[in-house]
Amino acid sequence: MSIELPVFYFLAAITIGAALIVVLGRNIVHCAFSLVLAFFGVAGLYVLLDAEFLAAVQVLIYVGGITILLLFAIMLTSRASGPGVRILNEQLGLSALIAGGLFFLLIYALWKGIPALAIKVPTQANVPTIGRVLMTSYVLPFEVASVLLLAALVGALILARKEKD
Amino acid sequence: MVPLSAYLILSAFLFATGVVGVATRRNVLIIFMSIELMLNAVNLAFVAFSRFLHSMDGQIIVLFVMTVAAAEVAVGLAIIIALFRNKETVDVAEINLMKW
Amino acid sequence: MEITLPPVDLGAITPELIVTGTALVILLVDLFLPRDRKTPLAYLSLLGLVLAFAASLPLWGRARYAFKESISLDPFSLFFSSLFLLIAALTILISTNYLEREEIHRGEYYALLLFATLGMMLLAKGMDLVVLFLGLETLSISLYTLAGFMRARLRSNESALKYLLLGAFASGFLLYGIAFLYGATGTTNLKKVAVFLGKGAPLSDPFLFIGAGLLIVGFGFKVATVPFHMWAPDVYEGAPTSVTAFMIAGTKAAAFSAFLRIFLYSLAPLKPNWSAVLWVLAVLTMTLGNVVAIAQQNIKRMLAYSSIAHAGYILVAVVAGGELGGSSILFYLLAYALMNLGAFAVVILLGQKGEENLNLPDYAGVGYRHPLPALAMAIFMFSLAGIPPTAGFMGKFYVFSAAVKAGYIGLAIIGVLNSVVSVFFYLRVTVMMYMREPRAEVGPIYTSPALAAALVIAVWGTLQLGLFPGRLLELALRSIRPLLG
Repeated sequence: MSIELPVFYFLAAITIGAALIVVLGRNIVHCAFSLVLAFFGVAGLYVLLDAEFLAAVQVLIYVGGITILLLFAIMLTSRASGPGVRILNEQLGLSALIAGGLFFLLIYALWKGIPALAIKVPTQANVPTIGRVLMTSYVLPFEVASVLLLAALVGALILARKEKD
Repeated sequence: MVPLSAYLILSAFLFATGVVGVATRRNVLIIFMSIELMLNAVNLAFVAFSRFLHSMDGQIIVLFVMTVAAAEVAVGLAIIIALFRNKETVDVAEINLMKW
Repeated sequence: MEITLPPVDLGAITPELIVTGTALVILLVDLFLPRDRKTPLAYLSLLGLVLAFAASLPLWGRARYAFKESISLDPFSLFFSSLFLLIAALTILISTNYLEREEIHRGEYYALLLFATLGMMLLAKGMDLVVLFLGLETLSISLYTLAGFMRARLRSNESALKYLLLGAFASGFLLYGIAFLYGATGTTNLKKVAVFLGKGAPLSDPFLFIGAGLLIVGFGFKVATVPFHMWAPDVYEGAPTSVTAFMIAGTKAAAFSAFLRIFLYSLAPLKPNWSAVLWVLAVLTMTLGNVVAIAQQNIKRMLAYSSIAHAGYILVAVVAGGELGGSSILFYLLAYALMNLGAFAVVILLGQKGEENLNLPDYAGVGYRHPLPALAMAIFMFSLAGIPPTAGFMGKFYVFSAAVKAGYIGLAIIGVLNSVVSVFFYLRVTVMMYMREPRAEVGPIYTSPALAAALVIAVWGTLQLGLFPGRLLELALRSIRPLLG
């Protein structure tokens, strides 16, 4: 299966590049679109990991939902974020240091003790399995998630709608 | 054959990048985007573990994480709008009324 | 294809169902109530909370697990469930007057508070990291909105924004920790994790360490331990005062209940490792909280730093561990909830519309103008400082003696020293109330039966636990045993 490795590197490169643009970019709209690219990269990686349903949901929710919301917010607050506005605060050095430390710590630990988990056994079909597990083992979290969404809905409405009087 | 460690290292990098974004950027919306990067990194780790452990739990958890992320973004943007009505800024450095 | 229906044990989650149902009913009834007559909703929510408590009583001593062992009905969960219902009820009692006064009296407040309570109850009962995570997020998302409820005030907006940004950031760390735990053990069910680790799985698996470490960071943010505490003073100060009270009392208890479940139960084999980290965190948290509180002039901020310090005391008990340490945490959390909610009740009582009178000089002479609230506040301050015969004293006593008995004498000494330091700023309020001249424009205060009821309950609880701690301690011991068994 030699096509897999180059595909992985390609997707990883896209995702990493896009992520860096999001975090370091100057123009906020560029950052938003770069985020979309990162989401697509992750979706591609899900497909590589045999999680096709998740890849589809990723695109639907992240690209279709969250990014749209972010773009709306960018447009609504555009007066405050054009060019010429300072984008970085004073802590770039320190936080890059900490994040770098975090990253290397994780790499070190990972390298030290990766069990030999490279065997790929064909898995069952994705969607029916997810559906079944969701309705049986995870039915309580499923219902709680719906309450959580309701709470978020009510909250967002209360905070954002215009006062009637 | 892509080993698990490759996915985990990628995930770690994405997570660290997100952390830098949250800690350094001044624009609230970019901070949001960085948090989404962090959550995507976590999701990637879950799916990778799920694949290599032959367990569906990881993928289900990712569904829940996506749900929570969407809910958080909705409330977060509502807060930003409410804030913007009172003071026209999205710069966190300016929203620092309360010190020490 | 074939689907075997899972055993859905609705009886096990009846209290949660009642709380959710009440919230939904409130949202509906709210549509029919005119803008300025929302008080019935408060009574409705109180009714719901009482019913939920009643529904939880038969669960003591029932079968222990439900929903494929993702929730547990042991005394530990039921203790915390009841605690959360109490906290929610007291919060509602102190809210009505305040909300009306500040003109933010909306029905959604009560619904969101109930959703938050639901999240807390899941944190108490959850045996699966997924359930715990969802409970935590339900709690957090409801609170993000509640923190920003005074939408016309910049302070409140800022509080909500900071809370959300840092909360989401912390959730990222928590989730990553859960991911590594999943990677190390192959499951998210805490019982299975405990079994897996108990059977001699490689305890030096780096995934375990990374996971545990990230979990500590995530929880550290949520509970506001040092060095993850920076958000707390601003968030607590800017949020509506009744919401602050709920955050300080409820969120901390809920987060600690989940933390205990994970660390004292599932990750117990790793204790030598994480207790070292927590030792350091406990010392930093206690010390910084107390020291910075001294400089605070705003009472909400002072209480915010005070709550940071108290989280430090609780961490001491976590480090001590065992039956004594664990049961002292449960006792402490109840005492802590009562005295904080009581203190905030007085803060609300002494405020007026538009001028909340939150600075220390505003408390001058209150002892003479309003003797009863001042007396209550004095009792709460004594309790927070740990002066007998209050619940606060008993709580600290149990925590520190647990630490000593577990061999952490240095930690206990640091704790006691911190307590002594804290006496200064707690008693400063009392001095202000009784030994200063009252200011000219302190107007009459309006109290409501609800606020008075909350105060009476809090005072009674604080004194009762201080004088007769035995029964609660027994209950706490009984509740912690399933975790350590």
